Amino acid sequence: MKATILLGLLLVLPSVWAGQANPHGADLDDNDFAEFEEIDEEEAAFEQPPQQQQQQQQQQQQQKQFGEQPKKVVMAPVDDDEEEDGVVEDEDEFEHLDDEEFEGIDQDTVNLRKGKDQTPPPLEITKIPLHLRTNWDSFYLEMLMLAGLAVYFLNFIAGKTKNSKLATAWFDAHKELLHKEFSIVGDDGQSKEPTENHLLKESEHTYSLWCSGRVCCEGMLVELKLLKRQDLINTISRMLSPKSDQILIKVTMEETEMDSFVFAVAQKKVASKLLKEQTDLNFFCAEKKGIDKGNIPPSLQVLSEIGEATSAVFDKTFCAVLNRYESNIEFIHFSDQYSGPKQQDQDTPTTLPETKKVLLFCFNVGDKGRTTVEDMDGMKELLQLVIHCIDKVKRIKLTKEAKMKAEKNRQRMHESYLKQTHSQRQEAAQLRREEKRRTEKERIMNEEDPDKQRKLEVGVALFYLIFIF
Amino acid sequence: MSSHNSANDPRRPNKIHRYTPPSSTGPLEDPTPEYMNLLGMIFSMFGLMMKVKWCAWAAVYCSFISFANSRASEDAKQLLSSFMLSISAVVMTYLQNPQPMTPPW
Repeated sequence: MKATILLGLLLVLPSVWAGQANPHGADLDDNDFAEFEEIDEEEAAFEQPPQQQQQQQQQQQQQKQFGEQPKKVVMAPVDDDEEEDGVVEDEDEFEHLDDEEFEGIDQDTVNLRKGKDQTPPPLEITKIPLHLRTNWDSFYLEMLMLAGLAVYFLNFIAGKTKNSKLATAWFDAHKELLHKEFSIVGDDGQSKEPTENHLLKESEHTYSLWCSGRVCCEGMLVELKLLKRQDLINTISRMLSPKSDQILIKVTMEETEMDSFVFAVAQKKVASKLLKEQTDLNFFCAEKKGIDKGNIPPSLQVLSEIGEATSAVFDKTFCAVLNRYESNIEFIHFSDQYSGPKQQDQDTPTTLPETKKVLLFCFNVGDKGRTTVEDMDGMKELLQLVIHCIDKVKRIKLTKEAKMKAEKNRQRMHESYLKQTHSQRQEAAQLRREEKRRTEKERIMNEEDPDKQRKLEVGVALFYLIFIF
Repeated sequence: MSSHNSANDPRRPNKIHRYTPPSSTGPLEDPTPEYMNLLGMIFSMFGLMMKVKWCAWAAVYCSFISFANSRASEDAKQLLSSFMLSISAVVMTYLQNPQPMTPPW
């Protein structure tokens, strides 16, 4: 009896479980299609617009979850596997559908259906590169660059105008004086006939003027070396170390009009620099003692070769002007052996550098960079000094001893120069010899007649013998 | 022409020498424009090849400085060409990468 009851119970139980199994009413047994029925319903649901589906899907999801859980708790492991399979399948199926078949559904709905959260996830804006037109604010570095360029350009225009104004002011102030002294003022060297009044612009900060047609000098080149006001970087560096505008006057004397002496007077620092750099000062004015300084201001140093000539130059007017314009004088350099600064980077050239008889004057204008148009007016006296010096130098005649001394110095220079280049000249001669040898050999090779060949060989051998000894 | 007026008038019209522009004294003069020109070219090439923005901007600055410091005797064509090159470097770098520059700090 008991056994039959137990058997009966055992038979009934599965059917009870099965009854609880599928909330949609389909039997599990029947059931390979129970899950698919669910799916079918959901598929149908997709055909409606996505917004309406959201609610339905939410509900379905919830139901499925609730439905699934009791199943998992109550049923045996075998059934669990089925359910799990079912769940996974569902998910996979839904994923497949989401990505490929349904375009235009928001991320939100997909996430919801995957059952992550009840609330929509925060919108993630994908990063797209910032575009020029949409977002000006972030380009502030570029704006800075452009602003810098604009500042540089403005400074360029301002500096250029100022320099040009200063140059024309100088020219206007000195035109009269120059016309009185020189026959031609401002030749530009371009046209066939000498032209007048051309202030040449070498660059935005350098102007030059050529005057010619006067006794005892070939010509006078005036270079206005103004500050680089057109360059912003230069302007800024000048704020740190101020410099002045300079006027460099170079008078080329005629060959017969200047006696041989070398002389310079300069600001102390400039003097030592000149002594090192200029070839003629370096060689001739090396001795610093025994110089009659005369009545010149203490900040200026004198470099002299022939003491007599120096004293002759230091006459009353000269000293007076020097005293009055002490700060304006950068250097004054008279030389009959002027050849410019030493060429440091080349080997000693094979020929003596060309020398000219020149008077050089370098004047500072204004007050360390703050030059005004009026300052240019004040330079007139210095130009008069230049004229005065030209006349003076013409009149200087050295005594016999002084002349001999000068002559000796120049001879010494020439000799030392020869010594320096001796090795070089030897090399050159050697090269020439080699060349000759080579050409001779070639001639011998080319010679067909054997007799002639022999004769030539003998001749060449003799030639070498003689040459070597 | 009164040649005996020499006591008062120092001018000698018969002794006129024409102006010969001094041959360029070479390295003695300020080499800034040449250096800046070269630097500008190098920067613009680098900026174009490596697509580095600040290089291109530096090239523009260099060519501008070179222009400001140039001598009148120098070729305007070369200056203009280096300027155009640097501007094209800037434009190309921005076309390839429209992001703004990031400061190094």
